[in-house]
Amino acid sequence: MKVIGFSRQDSFGLGETGAMLNPQARWILRHEGDIIMDVGYGVHGARTLNLVEGADESPELKVLAVVNYTRPMTNSPARIIDFLTGLGRVDGIIANTHLGDETTLEIVCQGNRMIRDTVRQLGMDVMYAAVDQKFSNIIKPGDCEIPLKLIERYMPNAIW
Amino acid sequence: MVAPVTPKSWYLPSKPHKFCPGCGHGIVLKALGENIDELGIQNKIIFGCDIGCSLLSWNFFACDSTQTHHGRTTPVMVGIKRSRPELITVGYMGDGGGYSIGSQHLLNSAVRNEKVTLILVNNVNYGMTGGQMAPTTLPGQKTETTPYGRDPELTGYPTKGPEFISTLTSDGAYVARATVSKYMQLKRFIRNALRNQLEGNGFSFVEVLSTCPTNWRTNAQQTWHFLEDEMEKFFPVGEIKSPFGKGEKTNVAD
Amino acid sequence: MDKVIGETKKAFLTGNETVAWAALAAGAEIMFGYPITPQNEVMHYWTRMAPKYNRNFLQTEDELSAGFTTCGAVQAGRKAFTATAGPGNVLMQEPFGMAEAMRLPLVAVIQQRGGPSSGTVVYSQQEVTLTTFGGNGEGMRIVYSTATHQEIYDYTIKAFNVAWKHRFPTFVLGDGYQAKMREPMEMYDPEDKGIEMVAPYPLIGLGGEIGAEREPAHLCNIYSLEEELYEVVLKHAAEFEALSPSIVEWTEGECDDADIIVVSHGVVSRAADDAVKALRAQGIKASYFRPITLRPFPQQALRNAIARSGAKKLLVAESAYGQLERLIKQEIYGETIKIETLFNPGVGIIDYDIISKVKSVL
Repeated sequence: MKVIGFSRQDSFGLGETGAMLNPQARWILRHEGDIIMDVGYGVHGARTLNLVEGADESPELKVLAVVNYTRPMTNSPARIIDFLTGLGRVDGIIANTHLGDETTLEIVCQGNRMIRDTVRQLGMDVMYAAVDQKFSNIIKPGDCEIPLKLIERYMPNAIW
Repeated sequence: MVAPVTPKSWYLPSKPHKFCPGCGHGIVLKALGENIDELGIQNKIIFGCDIGCSLLSWNFFACDSTQTHHGRTTPVMVGIKRSRPELITVGYMGDGGGYSIGSQHLLNSAVRNEKVTLILVNNVNYGMTGGQMAPTTLPGQKTETTPYGRDPELTGYPTKGPEFISTLTSDGAYVARATVSKYMQLKRFIRNALRNQLEGNGFSFVEVLSTCPTNWRTNAQQTWHFLEDEMEKFFPVGEIKSPFGKGEKTNVAD
Repeated sequence: MDKVIGETKKAFLTGNETVAWAALAAGAEIMFGYPITPQNEVMHYWTRMAPKYNRNFLQTEDELSAGFTTCGAVQAGRKAFTATAGPGNVLMQEPFGMAEAMRLPLVAVIQQRGGPSSGTVVYSQQEVTLTTFGGNGEGMRIVYSTATHQEIYDYTIKAFNVAWKHRFPTFVLGDGYQAKMREPMEMYDPEDKGIEMVAPYPLIGLGGEIGAEREPAHLCNIYSLEEELYEVVLKHAAEFEALSPSIVEWTEGECDDADIIVVSHGVVSRAADDAVKALRAQGIKASYFRPITLRPFPQQALRNAIARSGAKKLLVAESAYGQLERLIKQEIYGETIKIETLFNPGVGIIDYDIISKVKSVL
C-alpha cells in the first residue's frame, strides 16, 4: 500500500492536518492500480473533487459517503438526508456505524438499518457495512441483512 | 530543455516549496524574488512572515528572514526598520493577518508613515486553518464559519484594505492592489513598493489578489474564474496612491 | 429553551464537536471566536448548528476581541463562551483579567498546543500556568482539566453553571489530542440527568426606568485609591476560598498504602491510571492522584493522600516543563515528600513512560 500525503515533518507548523494539498494527490487519478481517496469533512462536501485532476471525466471514480449513525451530525433520518444532500455527488453509501471500543452488535445493526432505510427513500442503497475486524467475533456476515466488509486497520495507534 | 529561471534570491534547499498546487503565493514570491535580484538588495532585505499560509515562506528566500506571530509581522518590521534604517524590511502576510488580527498595527503604521514595505496576499479565506471566513470573504461565499454563505447583514462587507489604508497615509506613501492574474503589473507594483522604501519616501503597501483552490474547492478553470470574474470585480486593481506620478489603474473608477 | 439532544444517547465524536454540543445543551446563547488550531472545529460545528437552535455567533477580528465580546455578552445577561489555544490564550488574558476583576460568568474552552509562541499546533499541557494564573491578577478562576470526551461534555455544562452561580471565570482545559481524537461518550440534556441549569441574568441593561424605578448600574474595574482595590481583592479572595472546598474535584487510587504517588492531570492521567495498574500487578506499590480542578487545587486531598499512603516520593508527570510541578509545590508547601519529575513538554506520555520512570526512581 502506498500512502500519498505529507509526512508530519513536511507539514511544518501548520494549521490543520490536511489543509495543504499534496501535488501528488492532485494528479492521483493518473496512477495505475486501485486508488482510494480519503476526503475529509468540510462545508464544501464532494466539491473537494475539483482538486483532483480528471475527477469529472473518470468513468471508474465512485464517490462513496461513509455514514456512522452514532455521529451526532448523522444520528437521525433527517440529519442523514441533510448530510447527503449537502455533500453533492454521491454514488454509493457505506454504513459505518460503530462506537469505537464500545461497539456492540445491537448498535451496529440498529444504526446501519436506519441508514439503509433512510437512503432507500432517496433512491439509493447501502453497498455494505464496514466494521473493524476486531469485532468479527460479535458481528458476522449476514447480520443486519447488509453485506459485511471487515476493516483491517494499518494505523491502529493513530488517535484520530 | 529550457529550465525556468529561479531568482537568485530564492533559497534552493527549501524548494520545491510546500504551497498547494494552484496557490498564488508562488507567483507573488517569484515577483518579489525577481525584484530583489534586479534591485540588488538581497543582502539588505529582512523578510518577515506571519502565521497562516504566508508561514510557508519563512525559509523561502536566501535573505535574512524572521517568522513572527499572527498579525504581528507589521510591528516587527517597524521595530527592525526603526533600529536599522539601512535594512529593507518586507513584511509578508495574508488577509487574516493583515486585515483582522493585524489591522490595528497595519493602520497605525500607515498613519505613522512607517518606511516599511508590506505585501498582503488576499485569497478571501483563512487557508492554513482550514478555510474559515476572512475579512475579505465575499458576500454569499461559503466558508467553514459561514456554512450558509457570508451574510453582509451579520458580518459586514469585505474589507477593502488598500482603500482604507490610503486614506490614513500621508505624502510619500505607496498603496496599490495587484493580482496574480497580471504578473508583469504585479511585478511593477512590488518594484514600486520596494523603490518607495529605498528612496525613504514612506509607507508602502501592496495587496495581491490571489488564488486558493484548496479551500475554494475549485478546479483550474473555476479558480481563474473566481479570481478574475468575481474577486477582481469586487476589489479594484491598480495603484491607489503613488509618489511616482499618476499611478496605474486597471479597473479603478477614477 | 428546547431540548437539544432529546433522548440520552451514546455518540462517537471528536472533542471539539463535543464542546459545541455540550454548549448547545447547556443553553449557551452566543459564541465568539477566532480561528486557531486545534480548536477551530468548535466554531465549525457551532456555526452549523446555531441557526437550528436559534443561537448566535460572531467570528471576531482576533482573540482580544473574542474575549472582550464574551465579557460584554455576559454583562448583558447572555450565556456566552469562547474557545482558544496557545497564542490565542495569551491574548485572551487581557479580557480574562477583566472577567476576574468584574466577576463575570465567562466560560472559555482551552485546547492546549505546544508553546511558547507558535510552538506546535498539536498538543501539550503547557498552558496550565497561563490558564490558572495568567493575567495581571490573583488567579481567581475555576479551571477544570478534562481527560475524556465524556468529561469535556460534563464539565462544559458544569462550567456554565459554576460560572453563573459563583461569578468567577470558568475554564475547561483540554488539549489538541482531546480536541481531534474520536471516542464514544454519552450526550444528554442536563434536565434528563437532574441537572438544573442556572439562569443567566444581566448586570447592565436591567430594564425599568432609571431614576424612577432604579439607580443606573455602574460597573468598573479600576479604583482611585489603593485601599479600595485592596478591599475588593480581599473580598474576592475570601469568596473564592470559601467556595473552594465545594468546587475542588480530584480522583485518586491505591493511596492507602503506596511507595510512590504519580500525580498528573488531563489525558496524561489516563496513562498514569494504566501505569499504576501495571505496576501493582508487578508488585510495585504505586498509586495515582489526579487533580480535576487545577484551580482551586485539591491541595488538602493531596496532602491527605501523601499522609495516608506513607509514600516517600511523588512523581509529577506532565507534557510541560514543570507547570504542574510548580502548581503542586505551591499548593503543598510544607510537605517534605521528595518530588521526581517526568517532563515531556509538548509530547504525549504513555503508560510505558511512567512505568519506566517509576522503576528508575524507586
